[in-house]
Amino acid sequence: MKPLPYSDELHQAAHQFLVEEAALLDSGDYLGWLELLCDDIKYVMPVRVTTARGAGFDSLPDMGHFDEDLYSLRKRVQRLYTEHAWAEDPPSRTRHFVSNVRTFAFSETELYVESALLLFRSRGDTHEGDLLSAGRTDLLRLTEGGMRLARREVKADESVLRTQNLAVFL
Amino acid sequence: MSDLAGTADLPAVLADVRRGMIPARIYNDAEIFALERERLFAGAWMFLAHESEIPAPGDYVVRRVLTDSFIVVRDETGTVRVLFNMCLHKGMQVCRAELGNASHFRCPYHAWTYRNDGRLAGVPFHAEAYGGDDGFAREGQSLLPAPAVDTYNGLIFACLNADPPALREWLGDFGYYLDLYTRQSQVGIELRGPQRWRIKANWKIGAENFAGDSYHTPHTHASVTDIGLFREHGAGKRKDGALYVAGPGSGSASKLPPGGSFLEQLRYVGYPDEMIVTMAATWSKEQAALVEESGFLVSAATLFPNLSFVHDWPVIDEAGTVAPFISIRQWQPVSERETEVLSWFAVDAAAPEHFKRQSYRAYLMCFGSSGMFEQDDVENWVSITDMAGGSMARRLLLNSRMGLTSEDKPIRPPMAGFSGPGVAYQGFGEFNQRHWLAQWSDCLEASVEATSL
Repeated sequence: MKPLPYSDELHQAAHQFLVEEAALLDSGDYLGWLELLCDDIKYVMPVRVTTARGAGFDSLPDMGHFDEDLYSLRKRVQRLYTEHAWAEDPPSRTRHFVSNVRTFAFSETELYVESALLLFRSRGDTHEGDLLSAGRTDLLRLTEGGMRLARREVKADESVLRTQNLAVFL
Repeated sequence: MSDLAGTADLPAVLADVRRGMIPARIYNDAEIFALERERLFAGAWMFLAHESEIPAPGDYVVRRVLTDSFIVVRDETGTVRVLFNMCLHKGMQVCRAELGNASHFRCPYHAWTYRNDGRLAGVPFHAEAYGGDDGFAREGQSLLPAPAVDTYNGLIFACLNADPPALREWLGDFGYYLDLYTRQSQVGIELRGPQRWRIKANWKIGAENFAGDSYHTPHTHASVTDIGLFREHGAGKRKDGALYVAGPGSGSASKLPPGGSFLEQLRYVGYPDEMIVTMAATWSKEQAALVEESGFLVSAATLFPNLSFVHDWPVIDEAGTVAPFISIRQWQPVSERETEVLSWFAVDAAAPEHFKRQSYRAYLMCFGSSGMFEQDDVENWVSITDMAGGSMARRLLLNSRMGLTSEDKPIRPPMAGFSGPGVAYQGFGEFNQRHWLAQWSDCLEASVEATSL
């Protein structure tokens, strides 16, 4: 399947959706972020592994860093709004750089969107910043309320993550 | 040898550690780390993998003991081999993948080729280059095997010392508890993962925490109670919990609601009846008694030096379904200030598929790279490591005497009605961490000769 041309309005809407989503995450508006999710959201991030070229797989089939539905994502967000979520208090300064967006018309109401994500995360005043590079494949749904995220698969480009935890969303 | 070993400093450090006053520097000190490599890790049984990760002939995973890379492989006859991942010729890594299946490993440099039992099978231009067997006899050549390998409940351990005590003997009383995590049926567990990530923290902090820090749970992990991820309040579950020391391990056990039968108690934490029936048939009477008579279920534990276990039972959906999970994790030292965490999800291989699915979700919510418990732990441990590296930390002794009077007596007697082996105390205390640190001290004190290859 060929990606939609950049001039296509659906591509532009999808790209804007991803940029607006990144703005919510980087400003710490996680409740706002939850509103972008469909009720049947699946949010997964398989563990990447180093395998021989001929092995036919480069992530673990049955283990992820995330395998979330709306319940577990809500719990994660609720947690960040408690007074005891030390992992993000003080909060990290994050920047979600989103690029390489390719949009594919999947059905009348759904788009597949691939994007590249580079997350910069700075904690404290003197720690070296963390970088997390990943590819994302999203299913975006066109609903009455606007565009919503129905599926996201995050494929990290590292096998061993170099950030102290995933208390952040990708 | 590290400089520290030759100075009067080490005895003083160990003496402080043994009285429960921990020199803060041990959590970020290059000399201490050098000693740990030489004296502790060179002689310890180190976990590498579980047999379920390599079920078929040729299946392999590559794992490390600190910087030494080993191929853990099931050979064509089904025997598990642990092979040093370095070509006999020029030292190239013969396997650069993390896992896979292979009948042979061929070195990328000059194509020396090894069978998956380690034996050298091929040397290119053997006749032309070496004059055949006269110059280099292939017979009897093999990738270096780990000096000692042993298994328990499918857990594969290696030791860099060729003459360690037998694993089962060394585990001693901890085997009782290890079974509760890794032998819920005759089939045993399957491991999934590991998730791997690196944290800027000293490896000892996680090992000590899982050994028995029930005191941190009410505060560090207050957020997971705040959001209703657990039915119980963290403080009560922990304050009434038990801490046990057994052989080279120690751990905590959570207090179950009063008065339930074996079936009721394990139903309460979310095990389906068919698994409970299997556990009853698999565990010894003494093991079942921990649940049924003492009213405790294992929570976190550490097997010295750096393998930890955790078992908990969160609410995993809007309907209030409770599902238990088990995780096994290793605190793999990278340096005195960095640790690679390897965190596996473990589940009884004979469990029904829907349970495995629920248990996996429970694990991901709580532990591992994104776990809501683990996130806050690591924040603390990175901060401790940061602080421990400075000059003021060299003047600070951290009080690790919880549970002891000024005369070194326990503030309350050991539990009388605790069914597990070893010594157990109810409530808070740092008995387990001191036990772990005592083993650490013994290792660091041992002469180099005693632990050399």
